[in-house]
Amino acid sequence: MNHLLNRTKHLGLAAVLFVVPSLAHAEVQPEANWYTMPRDMSQHGHRIDWLIDITTLFAFILFVIMCAWMAIAYIKHTNGHEAEYDHGNARKQIVKAGILSSVIFVWVDGNLFYNAMKDLDEAFWDFDGARANGWHFQEDGTVNTDGTLRLQINAHQWAWDARYAGPDGKFNTPDDIVTLNDIRVPENKTIYVQISSTDVIHSFALPNFRVKQDAMPGMITHMLAHTAEDSVGEYDISCAQHCGAAHYLMKGTWIVQKQEDFDAWSKLASERALTLYKKEISVDDEGKEQVNYVALNPDSEWGWTWKEK
Amino acid sequence: MSSGEHHAPEDAHQHLQAIHEPPTDFWSKYVFSIDHKVIAKQFLWAGFFFLFVGGMEAMLIRWQWAYPGQEVPLIGKIIFSSSNGEISPSAYNSIFTTHGLIMIFWAVTPLLIGCFGNLTIPLMIGARDMAFPKLNMYSFHAFFLSGVLVMVGFAAPLGAGSAGWTTYAPLSTNVGSYGWGQSLLIAGIFVTGVGTIMGGINYIATVIRLRAPGMTWMRMPLTVWGLWLTSILNVLFVPVLGSAGLLLLMDRHFGTEFFIAGAMAGEGAGDPILFQHLFWIFGHPEVYILILPAWGIISDLLSFFSRKPAYWYRGSVYAMCLVTGLSAVVYGHHMFVSGMNPLLGKSFMILTLVISVPAEMLFLNWLHTIWKGNIRKETPMLFAMGTVFVFGLGGLTGLHLATISTDIYLHDTMWVVGHFHLTMAAASFLGIMAGIYFWFPKMFGRMLNERLGKIHFWGSTIFITLTFMGQMIGGYAGQHRRLYDPYEYTFLEHLLPLNQYISYFAFTLMAFQFVFVYNFFHSMWKGKKAPNNPWQVGTLEWELTSPPPVHNFTTIPTVVRGPHEYADPVATKLLGRDWLSQTEPYPTAESSPPDPSPPDGELVEETA
Repeated sequence: MNHLLNRTKHLGLAAVLFVVPSLAHAEVQPEANWYTMPRDMSQHGHRIDWLIDITTLFAFILFVIMCAWMAIAYIKHTNGHEAEYDHGNARKQIVKAGILSSVIFVWVDGNLFYNAMKDLDEAFWDFDGARANGWHFQEDGTVNTDGTLRLQINAHQWAWDARYAGPDGKFNTPDDIVTLNDIRVPENKTIYVQISSTDVIHSFALPNFRVKQDAMPGMITHMLAHTAEDSVGEYDISCAQHCGAAHYLMKGTWIVQKQEDFDAWSKLASERALTLYKKEISVDDEGKEQVNYVALNPDSEWGWTWKEK
Repeated sequence: MSSGEHHAPEDAHQHLQAIHEPPTDFWSKYVFSIDHKVIAKQFLWAGFFFLFVGGMEAMLIRWQWAYPGQEVPLIGKIIFSSSNGEISPSAYNSIFTTHGLIMIFWAVTPLLIGCFGNLTIPLMIGARDMAFPKLNMYSFHAFFLSGVLVMVGFAAPLGAGSAGWTTYAPLSTNVGSYGWGQSLLIAGIFVTGVGTIMGGINYIATVIRLRAPGMTWMRMPLTVWGLWLTSILNVLFVPVLGSAGLLLLMDRHFGTEFFIAGAMAGEGAGDPILFQHLFWIFGHPEVYILILPAWGIISDLLSFFSRKPAYWYRGSVYAMCLVTGLSAVVYGHHMFVSGMNPLLGKSFMILTLVISVPAEMLFLNWLHTIWKGNIRKETPMLFAMGTVFVFGLGGLTGLHLATISTDIYLHDTMWVVGHFHLTMAAASFLGIMAGIYFWFPKMFGRMLNERLGKIHFWGSTIFITLTFMGQMIGGYAGQHRRLYDPYEYTFLEHLLPLNQYISYFAFTLMAFQFVFVYNFFHSMWKGKKAPNNPWQVGTLEWELTSPPPVHNFTTIPTVVRGPHEYADPVATKLLGRDWLSQTEPYPTAESSPPDPSPPDGELVEETA
């Protein structure tokens, strides 16, 4: 029940962070067609879309052949049509069946397997690449735009907490930006997300970016999202795993911004973040000054040190 | 396996299986019966009851998705009196949770395995009863008790269990679900599992020990093969589910933390992933448990009604065995987004894709069986072909889910729901119907009405396909499953009309089932009297009266050939009919003068 009581404080914290200079953004736009996937806003979404569509096409071809086969047999091989006395166990027939099965397997499953492995290694599970590309700060304190943005998500019934490292590049420090259900990312960027959960299993899904990853209590899971060029806008974050009575209301907003807008927001937000801590300076035995930050809102204390793997 | 098979001498068979006196009083005849045919009917009635309950729940879910938050017509005020006739979010969660569990464990399992397993195995292998008739009785009684537990759960103070059919921890623990409903549901699964294991052991032993002389493995009807393999999976993997259920109950009531981790856990944190492993080690074989008997039934029926031998019988047997083996090592594809090690995920992807090889073999065999046959368009055949049709759709759409990169997008969407409903629900349902129309004469001694059967077939097949294909389109468009009101999400707002159409299809599908209900009850009492062998097929059960006597076979028959001997040109010419029973000697010009009347009515008693 404790976290339920904290919910209200949480919203208060979020409200503080939402009060940032108007970085005008559009509302989440509805999708147009019921027969297509949601708009693809990911650098790599086209890989999944293509693989789903081509596999559907292959499946459709096989299905049409099967239906035609059954229909012809049903219409023609009936009403006294002389049945063939054939057990289908001649060597030739077995070899034929084997070859046919293998061809279909290599063609359809092979295509799926090859492309899936390629897509996982090059994009969706390329965690090493995302790590190598890193998160760098330049001298003037601005973010290296080529880097990978790191993000921590903590799910709980029924909302999404997000945490950014802040200017020091370290997680779980007072300059972290902490938000609720409002996750901002720059466009044309790889975002490395580490996800956990407070209570039950949730699943952090970004339909427009073709990715999702379960949020497991007691465990940190990893996910990569890639925002495409010109993907500025707002998109739904959806919970894909049944998580209780208000599962259907567990939505957040994934806001893709221009790099400069994002930088401006994150600078301001991390300055604000520091105001949520009480700075306590103490002197230790050796006479050195120790700076301690005490969180005024315990809800901002859910983070973890970034898992380098 | 077929040659060099050792058989007990025939005499031993006759003595091994005693002929019991038929029971006379009501209780031993209908309630504490040890007759496999009566137990089959017990499972049939219980299965029908729960099929109705689960079906009505499906209608409520469809109502909610078509008219979110609006009062349910007719029954709303009664069932949802506390929420003004509307389905509340928590009631909705209970509905889809119990819909899934009831359909799997209390509708399809009793109908496909409990009913057809009990009915057909002894009759088709030439036995007088199951190997352990008492265990068989206990199996149904355990099932009955589990059904009571589930139904009582609906009356629990905080409602029935609502953690989804997968009952994923920690949502299914006290962290996410309070009250007795969830506990009763888990207890129900455990108890029905006990019943399933008892039935499974019985089926396995019966098939191994009680096959009639000459009934070699490779002469068994494919129905029996399917049921036997299913039983092996049941006996191996239901205990895994049972253990997961017990640990879950411990977590709920005795303060353990096997599956609770993170902030909600005490000192020694458990592991929610452990539950997923246990669940899916059972859960993936389960989908084959629910389809193997249907595969077996339709493999036989396609041959029977095409009047043609089953194409590459051994190939079908091997394919089903291969699927049985593979089903145990692919479960990880349910956990592609759970945070599994990538290498493990990729391994499961390969293994899963390999399943398409035996599946293709089966399809090729089915298609070749009906090709160049002499198809009899009777209702069981229509349902068998319908099963191939929907299973084709369901199987092919599984490809997208076996592959990690496409599954990441489709995981937990309505695509998954459409896919497994086409395979586990539509194919199992049509397979069950094929079996019911086929064996109804053997169960009740009367024929089902053909015209009503055909109406039922076309209505069911068309609308079941439209319903689940519609769900698949919704999933493609991104609709996640288990959403009380999907249109809360902006990216799903535009799917309301699609879902309304799917709901109309589902309501129509339900309406067509009443044709079947009428046909079933009308035919049971007033249907045409069934001859002993109405379909003119050669398996052993059709040599008996309809319905058969309590002890089935007065003399245990001796089997001389496989179950699919049709269109043998020599025999056809000599006998004047296109089929050979499994027991009759091969006709020769001297022994069998052309006889237009099939050996219909009495036991074929002869020695090999």
